[in-house]
Amino acid sequence: MEFTREIYWNVGHGFATLAPMYGLLAVAVVIFALGLIKRIKVYRLGLPLDRTDQRRERIKHMLETMLLQTKVSRVPGAGTAHALFFWSFFVLFIGTVLIVLQADFSDLLFGIKFLKGTFYKLFSLTLDLAGLLAILMLAGLFVRRYLVRPQGLMTKGDDALMHGLLFAILITGFLIEGARMAVTELNAPQLAAWSPVGWGVAALLAGMGEAGLRTLHTGLWWFHLLLALGFISALPYTKFRHILTTSANAFFADRGPIGKLTTVNLEDEDQEEFGANKLGDLRWKDIFDTDACTLCKRCQDRCPAYATGKPLSPMQVVNQIGEIAFTKPDAGLIETIGREAIWSCTTCRACQDICPASIEHLGKIIEMRRNLVLMEGDFPGEEVMAAMEQAEVNGNPLGMGYASRGDWIEPLGIKPLSEDHEVDVLYFVGCYASFDKRNIAVATCFVKLCQAAGIKVGILGKEEKCCGEPMRKMGNEYLYQTLAMEMVETIKEYGVKKIVTTCPHCFNTLTKDYRDFDFDIEVVPHVLFLEELVASGRLPVKAKEFACTYHDSCYLGRHNGMYDAPRKLIRSMGGRITEMARNRDQAFCCGAGGGRILAEEKLGERINVKRVQMAVATGAGQLLANCPFCLTMFEDGVKGANVEEQLRPKDIAEVLAERITSENA
Amino acid sequence: MKTLLVAEFREGKLRAEYSQLIAFAQQQQTEAAMFLVGNAGELPKFNGTLYLADAAKHGEYNPTVHRQLLLDVVATEQPAQIVFLHSSYGWDLAPRIAVALQAAQISEIISVDNGLPVVPVCNAKLRRSIKSTTGRTVLTIQAGAFSLEGEPEGAPTVVAIDTDAAGRVQCTGYEAAKLEGVDLTKAEIIVSAGRGVGKPENVAMVQALAKALGGEYGASRPVVDAGWVEHNRQVGTTGSTVTPKLYVACGISGAIQHLAGMKKSDFIVAINTDKDAPIGEVANVLVVADLKQFLPVLTEKLGAR
Amino acid sequence: MNILICIKQVPDMESKFKINGEGTWYDRADLAWRMNEYDEYAVEQAVRLKEQLPNSDLTVLCIGQDQASESIKKALAMGCDKGVHIADPDSSQREPIAIATMIAGFAKEELFDIIFTGMQSQDRGSAQVGVMVAELLGIPAVTTIVDFSYDENTGAIQVKRELEGGSKALVTATTPVVLTCQLGLNTPRYPTLPNIMKAKKKELRTVLPAPAAVDARQETSACYFPEKKGGGLVLEGEIPELADKLIQLLKEKTSALA
Repeated sequence: MEFTREIYWNVGHGFATLAPMYGLLAVAVVIFALGLIKRIKVYRLGLPLDRTDQRRERIKHMLETMLLQTKVSRVPGAGTAHALFFWSFFVLFIGTVLIVLQADFSDLLFGIKFLKGTFYKLFSLTLDLAGLLAILMLAGLFVRRYLVRPQGLMTKGDDALMHGLLFAILITGFLIEGARMAVTELNAPQLAAWSPVGWGVAALLAGMGEAGLRTLHTGLWWFHLLLALGFISALPYTKFRHILTTSANAFFADRGPIGKLTTVNLEDEDQEEFGANKLGDLRWKDIFDTDACTLCKRCQDRCPAYATGKPLSPMQVVNQIGEIAFTKPDAGLIETIGREAIWSCTTCRACQDICPASIEHLGKIIEMRRNLVLMEGDFPGEEVMAAMEQAEVNGNPLGMGYASRGDWIEPLGIKPLSEDHEVDVLYFVGCYASFDKRNIAVATCFVKLCQAAGIKVGILGKEEKCCGEPMRKMGNEYLYQTLAMEMVETIKEYGVKKIVTTCPHCFNTLTKDYRDFDFDIEVVPHVLFLEELVASGRLPVKAKEFACTYHDSCYLGRHNGMYDAPRKLIRSMGGRITEMARNRDQAFCCGAGGGRILAEEKLGERINVKRVQMAVATGAGQLLANCPFCLTMFEDGVKGANVEEQLRPKDIAEVLAERITSENA
Repeated sequence: MKTLLVAEFREGKLRAEYSQLIAFAQQQQTEAAMFLVGNAGELPKFNGTLYLADAAKHGEYNPTVHRQLLLDVVATEQPAQIVFLHSSYGWDLAPRIAVALQAAQISEIISVDNGLPVVPVCNAKLRRSIKSTTGRTVLTIQAGAFSLEGEPEGAPTVVAIDTDAAGRVQCTGYEAAKLEGVDLTKAEIIVSAGRGVGKPENVAMVQALAKALGGEYGASRPVVDAGWVEHNRQVGTTGSTVTPKLYVACGISGAIQHLAGMKKSDFIVAINTDKDAPIGEVANVLVVADLKQFLPVLTEKLGAR
Repeated sequence: MNILICIKQVPDMESKFKINGEGTWYDRADLAWRMNEYDEYAVEQAVRLKEQLPNSDLTVLCIGQDQASESIKKALAMGCDKGVHIADPDSSQREPIAIATMIAGFAKEELFDIIFTGMQSQDRGSAQVGVMVAELLGIPAVTTIVDFSYDENTGAIQVKRELEGGSKALVTATTPVVLTCQLGLNTPRYPTLPNIMKAKKKELRTVLPAPAAVDARQETSACYFPEKKGGGLVLEGEIPELADKLIQLLKEKTSALA
């Protein structure tokens, strides 16, 4: 016997079938196109932005994200179900395409049939199993959304429509198959076995008799066609659009450097508006993002502000901008989203990192902050305005006299570059390590470690100013640029070859943001610098066992992907790391990023206390950090959480300094 | 050398600070007369001439009129020094007299060193001693810088004075200090609790000391974080930046945000068990003690004074 | 309304102060400079008044070295209309009456309705200049204001003066008047970027100081660092004695127990 089946069985393959079928398809395509054009018009309300460079990488990234479901599947459970559903539905789609190809093209025009024999058996089996898997996954997702109802999941009418339509398409598919098989294959088990689900359905329907089955089959066939065309037409109008937009967004994704902000042209005298408060102040990608969002809430689940009861949800921000774009384009962004939400962000990047739809949350929030600061002179509180003024006057937000910035090096025997610029590395100290006693201790350890490795370190001393990072993240682009340009000029004058930082915020700013000011000197964070010194044997370490947990700062971690080197360094000095539940790319912010170090945390619980409690839960007793902001937050946090006895926050360099062998020390 | 002391009267009451003017004159060992726009029913305790104008007629704050009254007395009395308190009344009226008399004015004197007045400058970071080169000098003295050992005594010889001068601004009344809410930035004395207080119940010790000193209580961020003290009492760059005359830090080790928010205080006392705590760097006095034992004793002794 | 705002540029009080060679004032090296804090409130109040009366013209005046123009620019960025810089390299040595005479000399040429200034400077802290300007011009002055309102219909100015102990005096005045501003009068704004840009194009006139119109009335004998009040004193010992010692110190060094 031949292993195949008659395509268009029972419905016929004549003009009476094909004409209405293709006619309806054309209608669906027109509805689809109209919807798409309407949305594209809205995307075009945004400012221009080139996201079509590096096409090869972009296409590769898009195909990976879409076909391999790399981003979606990062979160097990719902993510896995989505990936499996996608793959099975995709297989069904390919199957349908093959059928159309054979029936309406190759066979019709050239008499070529390929759906036969072994290929047909496998084809049939694959599609049957894919259909079953799709139903199972969809059912699982249905249970999650409508019965389990995870906290914070937004369910809209769209979701019901999507579930209904997909279930209907899948189930009618099997019913059609079952009706056909009940008539044609119940007597041919060798063939029917390759369509196991259809066979089962056929067995159930068998009692209807051939005439009834044929009527049922015809009706269902047209109904199934209408459902499929409905799906196509609904694409631009419902959340189904994410199939297109999320995939396209992977193509349009920011290709880095990660977390580098756009530099505003302050020289342009015609520019009278800064930052974003109207839809048209955003770039088209920001609007497109809102269509790529599937409200999966992964960003919200990881947002430290949301987790501590602050009025910010990255998902809501994107959703609200979407609502403005498509329903009330004249509404103010800031008024709609709310100042407190905008100021609550710590720029920890957890949202953007996890987003399966390549949405850029941070840029939007920063643009709105820029509008608040540059157009209104508004800040989250007077304390932040005071810090800005202090940075203008003294070059640091703490309000310490600028001339005492380098005083801490006095006992160390190193000099500012103004006195001796023949150095191996410039240590860009940062504000906290220059003025705060706790962080001066870290800076001192770092310099001693360099000295033990025979590396000559110099600092800028009173010529150093804040790198401008907290100001920039708070939206004060003007002050940031003033500070940055001054630092670039000062550092370049000394002809420095290599810069080391102990502050990841300084590091990220110097190594990425300063690039826009023609600054290309190598910058290394101290943890990596020390790790290399230890690994190369230049800094001999006397390992001594200790237990600790390690906090990935947002700016070494998610912003720079430096997860392994610090851990390697800790292990090389004898550390046993008990990881916190939230570590590496899922690490929970200390609360100080995004310029929040300057602001009073007035709303909700304290982020630093929450993080400290996570560290306490490891039972490790020591919390190792790599960032002065984190360290400051944790020192406050252990007091706030009342766990001073259980947890000591320390910088990695401090622990290392205790372990350098005596002949070098 | 003759000195004319300018006493103050407000909201129907003689201001007791006049004794500080007497203390200054005594320290200078000069012959003193006093000027007051006040009320004959409430006279300063002072042995000497009191030139008294009626506040009911001439107003409590009426610079043009008071200036004229005072210039008339200066013409009679011919003092070498005219001494005001460095107060809202004194710093308002003194420059008017200095301009009219073409006299040097030296403001906010905290001491007299080798015959020369010393004033604080640059937020009291520096001192300046000043020599007047005019025959007559107008001085204002810092509140609290000069004080009598005991209560002022004596009874003045009252000389009533009057003028027809008219005022150009009008004081229409007073607004009482707001009681509700707390504004630490305005407080002159602040006692703050740090994590060293150990547990929420011990915040009461800090409150008691603040009360005994007549000041407000505040807290460092961790104490506010822990919910032991309300938000608006947080001292530090992420709370209020304060500049009181006296700041007492109890069990505060001195995180940078806290230090930056209070180090401009005139006088800082730190109470801490750790001698090396960063707070020691800004403190004028570091008391090395467990605050739980120390505060009750200190509060009791202050109360017993 | 024609309004003058007199501002001063002062060192940031957190600067590392050193005494100059003559021992009469601070050395200018290593200092960070800013607008006198009290004057920021004066500028803000003037700008708010202009928001109420858009036809107002705000002139900001500063006496000092070249870099004082930076503070004028800040005032212009906050919303003043034009700046006048009396370029006087010796301003830091001038006594209050000399500065007041210079300001009065300038103000006499234009009829200002209101002159706003800080109640004192952060460095000299004499609290004299504002009142002296008023006396030299023969117009009223109200000092230490913490609240201001202007009634467009009656032309009455209502201010509150800050008094000791937190109470306030309510004072009514009319133009012309000098008002000296206390901290807390308002919240000085942070200049917006478009205003910073606009400020760069606003008129900023530099004039030379007129020859000294007044004879010196005082001279600085010495400027020096005070002995540290407690000298970073560390008290250790038995609790009751510690308490006694501390109370004694508070009596000697502060006015807290007065």
